[in-house]
Amino acid sequence: MNFRSALLAVLALLLAACSPSTTVQFTPTPAVEETTGLSGPLVIYSARSEPLIQPVLDAFQAQYPEVEIRIKSGNNSELANALLEERNNPQADVFITTELLTVQSLNQEGVFQSYRSPAAAALPEGFTGPNDSWTGLTRRARVIMYNTDLVPEGEAPTSIFDLTDPKWRGQIAAAGSANGSMQAQIAAMRQLVGEGVTEAWLRDLLANEVTFFGGHTDVRKAVGAGEFKIGLVNHYYYHLQKEEGSPVGIVYPDQGEGQIGLITNATAIAIVQGAKNPAAAQALVDFLLTPEGQEIFARLNFEYPLVEGVALQPDVAPLDEFRLADVDVAAAALDLDETFDLMERVNLP
Amino acid sequence: MADLAGFRNAALGRRFRARPRLNRPVTLAATFVAAFVAIPLVYIFYRAVTGGQEVWLRLVQTRLLGLLANTLMLAAAVTLGTLVVGVSMAWLTERTDLPGRRAWRWLLSLPLAIPPYIGAVVHVALLRPRGGYIPQFLGWLAGRPVDTPSPFGFWGAAFMLTLFMYPYVYLLSAAAFRSMHASFEEAARISGRSTWSALWQVTLPILKPALGAGALLVALDILAEYGTVALLRYETFSAAIFLQLSGRYDRSAAAVLSGILLVLAILVLWGEIKFQGQARFDQLGSGWRPARLLRLNQWKTPALLAVFAVVSMSLLVPVTVLSVWTAQALLEPHSLATTFRSGSQGLWNYTWNSLWSAGLAALLAVLLSLPVAYLAARFPRRLTQALSRLSQVGYALPGVVVALSLILIVNRFLPFLYATPLVVVLAYVLRHMPQAVRSSQASLAQVSPSMEEAAQTLGRTSFKAFIHVTLPLILPGLFAGAALVFLTSLKELPATLLLRPAGFDTLAVRVWIWAEEGIFTQAAPAALLLILAAAGPLYFLLRRERF
Amino acid sequence: MATLEVKNLTKQFTSEGLPAVQDVSFSLSQGEILALVGPSGCGKTTTLRLIAGLEQPEAGLVILGGRIVTDSYLFVPPEKRSVGMVFQDHALFPHLNVFENVAFGLAGRPREVVRREAASMLKLVGLEDMAGRYPHELSGGERQRVALARAMAPRPIVILLDEPFSNLDADLRAQIREEVRAILKGIGATAIFVTHDQEEALFIGDRLAVFNQGRLEQIGTPESIFHTPATRFVAEFMGHTDFLPGEVTREGILTEIGLLAQETGLPAGEKVELAFRADDVTIRPKAEAGSLVLARHFKGAVNIYRLRLPSGHLVHALQPHTHIYPPGTRVEVIADPGHDLACFYQGKAVPPAESSARLN
Repeated sequence: MNFRSALLAVLALLLAACSPSTTVQFTPTPAVEETTGLSGPLVIYSARSEPLIQPVLDAFQAQYPEVEIRIKSGNNSELANALLEERNNPQADVFITTELLTVQSLNQEGVFQSYRSPAAAALPEGFTGPNDSWTGLTRRARVIMYNTDLVPEGEAPTSIFDLTDPKWRGQIAAAGSANGSMQAQIAAMRQLVGEGVTEAWLRDLLANEVTFFGGHTDVRKAVGAGEFKIGLVNHYYYHLQKEEGSPVGIVYPDQGEGQIGLITNATAIAIVQGAKNPAAAQALVDFLLTPEGQEIFARLNFEYPLVEGVALQPDVAPLDEFRLADVDVAAAALDLDETFDLMERVNLP
Repeated sequence: MADLAGFRNAALGRRFRARPRLNRPVTLAATFVAAFVAIPLVYIFYRAVTGGQEVWLRLVQTRLLGLLANTLMLAAAVTLGTLVVGVSMAWLTERTDLPGRRAWRWLLSLPLAIPPYIGAVVHVALLRPRGGYIPQFLGWLAGRPVDTPSPFGFWGAAFMLTLFMYPYVYLLSAAAFRSMHASFEEAARISGRSTWSALWQVTLPILKPALGAGALLVALDILAEYGTVALLRYETFSAAIFLQLSGRYDRSAAAVLSGILLVLAILVLWGEIKFQGQARFDQLGSGWRPARLLRLNQWKTPALLAVFAVVSMSLLVPVTVLSVWTAQALLEPHSLATTFRSGSQGLWNYTWNSLWSAGLAALLAVLLSLPVAYLAARFPRRLTQALSRLSQVGYALPGVVVALSLILIVNRFLPFLYATPLVVVLAYVLRHMPQAVRSSQASLAQVSPSMEEAAQTLGRTSFKAFIHVTLPLILPGLFAGAALVFLTSLKELPATLLLRPAGFDTLAVRVWIWAEEGIFTQAAPAALLLILAAAGPLYFLLRRERF
Repeated sequence: MATLEVKNLTKQFTSEGLPAVQDVSFSLSQGEILALVGPSGCGKTTTLRLIAGLEQPEAGLVILGGRIVTDSYLFVPPEKRSVGMVFQDHALFPHLNVFENVAFGLAGRPREVVRREAASMLKLVGLEDMAGRYPHELSGGERQRVALARAMAPRPIVILLDEPFSNLDADLRAQIREEVRAILKGIGATAIFVTHDQEEALFIGDRLAVFNQGRLEQIGTPESIFHTPATRFVAEFMGHTDFLPGEVTREGILTEIGLLAQETGLPAGEKVELAFRADDVTIRPKAEAGSLVLARHFKGAVNIYRLRLPSGHLVHALQPHTHIYPPGTRVEVIADPGHDLACFYQGKAVPPAESSARLN
């Protein structure tokens, strides 16, 4: 171990000698300069499906043409792993995620720096992280979509617990354990109905021959084409598929008395501790909270904008029409590990 | 009177070969190279063994047996499939009077330029139940949805991997068929065997080492394959490791799985090296003459149909579909403006990234292979053979494993390299070095050592002798090795996916990300560019095969 | 002073087993051609490579043109020794044409000198018209001559030829070796020539050095080697010799085919071996004789008969072509050398032949 630490010391010295830019650490965040004149590379780790994030980045780019946007796309945990791995050698400026658990637990590891966007005042309660470590962007609901050619109206399951009904055996598609939204749903269910019921539900899904894909795009296309009758997705995947002209319907599940309610989640952005281009990172956060940025999420992606006063896509049902499940994100993030254990125990693909 | 003929024959037959002293700097360099290649391997084993009992237990209880069965079944099926397709196609184009054999040879080899996952993307788009082009067309014909076989799962994966990997076996067996003496088959015929039984009892057994080596290389590729199996929802070791890496915040399970996968791969590689050692079918000596071509007669049409079926599924259909998608993308003004981009990067960035990273990897791999190959070719003994074999373990290092070890090693010990494109290049070098070592070694073995000695007696130091005499002579062989490394690096997916820094996407990565999102029109131009870029070195390699 | 001197040279490739070259010493004067001859694996090629500096010996001294190039402390690399070498496979550089091959060893000299020297070498070997050709466009004999020209071009102190003709057809070989000898003699080159073919050695060497199992058995003129072999091995290797046991008596040596009046200096009763050549033996048909004609080889002017003695030993006898005995004929075999025969006591010649000096 002596040799290793010596080597590390030498390398650290070398590093310090040749790249002063990496020594940006724990310095107070400099005030954002005038919105013009930003430049340099802005490194974004994005867990969002690329077609859903590229349009809003294009709009940002149009405003700051000097900034060179570098994206690394992956899923939440893959990028979270990278951020953890890089804590002493930070590479990313910002992290964009598809749910709140990951940013919440990464924040506990001290991966992010604080930034309160002036626009964050317009966000509802609970959609900024502790000490402004992360900032919420949009909201989404976990819904059931179905192929209307194969499932008559009114016969589609109305609860996620109906998905274990043997009459749907082999006809359901969902996203697998690597998908952030699915992880978040399982974490939420552990809170809502407890570990035992959640585990039984997962085992029943597997027994019911549910097919698990890597991401939701696959799920929506499969349901749209009729390869599967039913899919468990985020609500906007239904709209995206509908827009392509497929015969699909949507169910906002678990609205009945005594049921758990609609599980929702939010996307978020956070600035990485040690970011090399904090000014551009802050500009991006600000931009995504402007009406223009929020409108792109709402219009192109059918998401629920978090900033008040931005219009929904006309087809999208407003969330206040539904009974929402009550989930404590901070608590769920604390036992994220148990959620992973559970997925592995039941062997979720 | 003593019989001197015996003496003379002994003198001519058994050249007394001296055992020269090892060149120290070269030995040092070769040892360094072998260590460089071996470090990731050793590190992963270390991490696997120290992964913790709890991780092992958890894996054994849940995943391990299933993964093992899945992986081995797929490897066996694809190996068998590629053998059947590869050898039969080679036999048809080399040993029969199949019309247009020259053109077929090219068409049957070109699928090497198509990464299997790109081929799989096309076939999935065509075949996926109800949603695919073919089921939809059939449904339109029938006026109702038609059930078609699913391209997903074991059979789909086996089918598509066979389709895009048979060229390895095809090329090896075609070369073997070509260089094999006609007299073997003629002797068998004279001894009363039919053409058919001569093929089974004489030709194929003689070619067995070459075919065995080719088939095991395919098996190694299957162990390493990620894109295709992930796309076809069939979980093998590589896919499971990838999942673990992108799952929980813990590397030990991935390390344990990698360790087991490595053991599997090393076993296969060991077999391959043994076969490789036996695969010395005779050279084209002065006595060589091509075997008489078998007349197909009434079998001509079925044979043509079979070859056409293989060529169309593995080459024509993918390229056509990709071209149509590309045309769609280019014709639509909206997609033309917004498409092909991620962040501030565009298609040309990806192309450039692909080309330079693969090019640099090829250059480095060949340079690093030289000392190892030189020692093994010039000083054959246990130590040098061991170094040569050690530097070939890259064959047994699946992309995900290389990536995992590099993530672990580089960030811990070489943080200044972390998240630079150089790590991606490093992964290519580690993984594809064996191809360079083999071509360098083969081309060095063809240059007589007396060539260098002659240069030395004519006043050149041994280093200068190498530069002025040996290097010019082995240059074509080195180019071939570089072309091979370039080709395979261009197609590499899993390691690139895991190791690429932000903003450094290659064509392969872009194709994968866009295809995973189902945006085929966007993936297609990148895929076509990738195939085109790979076709260049492939053309060079095939020309060397005396096509 | 000798042009080349080799003293007590020893080379061991493996830690166990016999050395490849063991305690070999000889010297060579200016303009002399020495043929190293012996069976395969006898150490002759290794000796050549030790002189060239392509191998490093365990012990011994090599002095080249008055300069020590190898001893226990010093090892001059081959490129600094000024030796020329013709390799068994010729080792012509396939990527260079004939002229460039020949000029290869002249690098560093003025361009004009290079052109003149290479041209004169090509003229010497009769290839001035082939300067622009590449090795694969040449015949075997032409390649041989290019290899020789290339080795000679830098005017080395000594030219080493390692079985240079072994890749040539038999009829071509005889012609080429005459040419090569003439060329070497023409420029007064000092040369060492390795071959396993004793006829070739006898033809090309001013002197011969016979090797066996890493040792130098005998060195001398072709005649002395042939007529007075120092050891039984040399006699056997140089050819056409049958050995018969004999016993020393007061009158001479008694063998199965007669008594040879020959001084040995050994006490009576000692067992020796005598080397017979076909012309030392004569035969006479005799019905009740114990020896048998096994075969007749018709050689034109003479017949050579293979004979089996009553003891089972085989000998050969040379007869005029007019004397024809079919196989199976019973004959009387008589020793009739007309000169002293080489006689070996415990493998070594006795008495030490006057004309051949056994080294080491």
